Amino acid sequence: MFNLTRRQSLTGATALVASAAMGGRAAHAQAKRILVIASNQDIPNFDPHIATGYSASMLLRNTYDSLVRTEGTPPKPVPQLAASWTASADGTEYVFKLDPAARFHDGTPVTAEAVRYSFNRLLRLNKGNAWMVAGIVDENSVQPVDAATVKIRLVKPFAAFLQVLPWLWIVNPKAVDANKGSDDGQTYLRSTIAGSGAWRVRRAEAGNLYEFERVEGGWQQGGGNLTGAIWKIVRETSTQRLMVGRGEAHIAVDLTSEDMDALKGRPGVVSIIEPEYRTFSIKMNTRHGPLADINLRRAVSWAFNYQAMLDAAGYAQLMTGPLPDGILGFDPTLAVPRMNLDKAKEFLAKSDYAKGGIKLVMNYVSGLDQQRRWGLVLLDSLRKLGIELDIKPMIWPDMVASARSPETCPDFFPVYQTANYGDPDNIAFAAYHSSRNGGWQNPVYSSPKVDDLIIRARSETDEAKRKELYVAFQKAVVEDAPDIFGVLEKRKLAMRSDVQNFHFTPVASNAIELFPLSLK
Amino acid sequence: MLRFAVRRIVLLVPVIVGLSLLIFAIARLLPGDPVTLAAGPNATQAEIADLAREFGLDQPLPVQYWHYATGLVTGDWGQSIFTRRPVLEDLKAYLPATLELVVVAMVLAIVIGIPAGLLAAVYRDRWPDYVSRVVSLGAISMPRFFLGLLLQLGLAMWLGWLPLGGRFPLTEDPPPFVTGFLTIDSLWAGDPHAFGVALAYLALPAFATCLSPLATITRMMRATTLEVLQQDYVLTERALGLSQRLIIFKYVLKNAMSSTLTVIGLYFGWLLGGTVLVETVFDWPGIGLYATKAIVTQDFMPVMGVTLTIGVLFVAVNLVVDLLYGLLNPKVRYE
Repeated sequence: MFNLTRRQSLTGATALVASAAMGGRAAHAQAKRILVIASNQDIPNFDPHIATGYSASMLLRNTYDSLVRTEGTPPKPVPQLAASWTASADGTEYVFKLDPAARFHDGTPVTAEAVRYSFNRLLRLNKGNAWMVAGIVDENSVQPVDAATVKIRLVKPFAAFLQVLPWLWIVNPKAVDANKGSDDGQTYLRSTIAGSGAWRVRRAEAGNLYEFERVEGGWQQGGGNLTGAIWKIVRETSTQRLMVGRGEAHIAVDLTSEDMDALKGRPGVVSIIEPEYRTFSIKMNTRHGPLADINLRRAVSWAFNYQAMLDAAGYAQLMTGPLPDGILGFDPTLAVPRMNLDKAKEFLAKSDYAKGGIKLVMNYVSGLDQQRRWGLVLLDSLRKLGIELDIKPMIWPDMVASARSPETCPDFFPVYQTANYGDPDNIAFAAYHSSRNGGWQNPVYSSPKVDDLIIRARSETDEAKRKELYVAFQKAVVEDAPDIFGVLEKRKLAMRSDVQNFHFTPVASNAIELFPLSLK
Repeated sequence: MLRFAVRRIVLLVPVIVGLSLLIFAIARLLPGDPVTLAAGPNATQAEIADLAREFGLDQPLPVQYWHYATGLVTGDWGQSIFTRRPVLEDLKAYLPATLELVVVAMVLAIVIGIPAGLLAAVYRDRWPDYVSRVVSLGAISMPRFFLGLLLQLGLAMWLGWLPLGGRFPLTEDPPPFVTGFLTIDSLWAGDPHAFGVALAYLALPAFATCLSPLATITRMMRATTLEVLQQDYVLTERALGLSQRLIIFKYVLKNAMSSTLTVIGLYFGWLLGGTVLVETVFDWPGIGLYATKAIVTQDFMPVMGVTLTIGVLFVAVNLVVDLLYGLLNPKVRYE
């Protein structure tokens, strides 16, 4: 017989519980080749025509297919459901030949009718990513030619059309119609997948995790060796870092610069620091208050300490004008303001506020400490011009409300802008076209010249001419000085070294594609 | 006692109505523009107005409240304006995790705190008392999130005894949903392995959560026991030669428990809404994080749903506490 002391019994019990908790898991995951991704964002809705956000984009990108998918940096459209396509010379008509092998999860073939059904549902609901084709596609635009050919006639030319297609998902009409209810299948698709992607959702625990499993007999050929993947909600970035360090997660997607530094040189961990199309700028109120004076705006732009901003940003690079580095039409030779106090004082002297002595207001999103730090950089820069700055934290809904009119908009309005698709139109139109005034992406800035360039560029089908238009656009915006062009923060991921064939996507906050991934 | 309980339950109705009115008023009167936010950055003014109409936000406030109140009764607690998920469905998903955490933490706090306080009082100014006072002070001063991080670092990272976070191993299926408490559901399913695993995952967050109530209960128990020990009837019992054990457990403990019971009731309610930091550190998929996110984005319906649920639970727990007073002290009359 064993004679156990109380301490031995307690230790044994703890060890038993611990081994129960830790032991089986690793072996199970290893045997099944399950990739674990740690992220702080939940996936509350699976409806491909409603859900947005990078976590939803990740789920949809893997469980649904679109006509084309995006690949590489800068992103290029490549075949997915459409094996090939042609476009008319005027850019208003596209004909897609569907891959005959394409099947939904229930085995139903993906047909031209399914494409028409999906586009029309997207337009009908007018939610999610519908804005990407608003005014470009209407309910008569998608016309099945035969079961495997679909023609899309655009209401007006839209050069970025192929770039937005990867984010417009095709649903299975049979499954949705059978569960349509009174809300066009919204209740059904909120928690059910009716797609043709290589993955399906095996387990969904709101706020905790989402488990994917490979669709048996899926139509896609090849791919990596993963049998499953888990999107695990991990709120604290430090916990994400610990999980990758311990091998409990294979990829952590929300790490800070400090986390990346802490993981440097850690065995078995690979750091991925990639530029993405996510801009940060401090917008100025060009229509109300002192900053309506263009010379004051220029003075502020030349007084700002860009280097201090960059130093506080961690892994980042300074922006050169309104467009992100690397995107189509980006002009690296553009002359943009860099800290030069003499020049700043020159512009200040030309303004109505030659002696300074004014107080400006900057609101920032409470909790985003990086924005507060950049506000302090601005405060320090403005003092040199004799201008005071009041920095106020505000919750995001209040910020959005303040952007509604020039009168309610603060003097400085800091904004991050993520590109949803890999085309300059995404940022140019949302952040600088006057039709967006009143929204948080462009509260007040309005210029007929800039508007005209944006509209011409989005309709132009000749790439060389588009580039020229975007170069002119960038120059015009810089001349107007509506923003302090800030930084492009790099996307920071940590990944276990046994993950293979990972490809970074600079759009949609790097919605990870599972299909090509393997675990060693 | 039965009449008292029924009366208190009936009194819950005006409390809930009042609470729902108050929460509704606060949610609607807050500045900010969640509708524009939810409509997305590219929405036109017409689309924003459509969304407001869809959620009934264009109606007069009394009409909006009427719809909300009738929905509460019929089981339609509204929908999140951002995720479009029904609030009741979300509460069903998130509440059990928080309840399990809070219940286990409170059980720990009670089971350790009451004997510790009693012991400290009985051995006043001797080493058990000193230890109890120092530990209580430390526990009450330690921020929970910081303790959580220390526990993670020590017991999960360095020693590897317990998991870092979460509620159950990622790659294992949890027991079928019955109560939503994984410990109970695993026993219900007759799966001792799952029970052990669920306990292991619960250990660190429950310990981090229990420390503050544990310290308060210990200190409260010590103070009230000391007070009771100085009562004349205790002196009389001692003079009559009753054993120390009998005096403490039969006469002192019951009388010292009343105030502690009040603290337990209040703490339970407080913890229901106050676990957000522990949930964040340990990735505990509970209601705290759900509520915080809803508050930050001014997502009315989830905020109202969570507040109402916590309010009702708080009132219910305090009703149980009131009933327990009578069990502990027969002098209490339910008039």
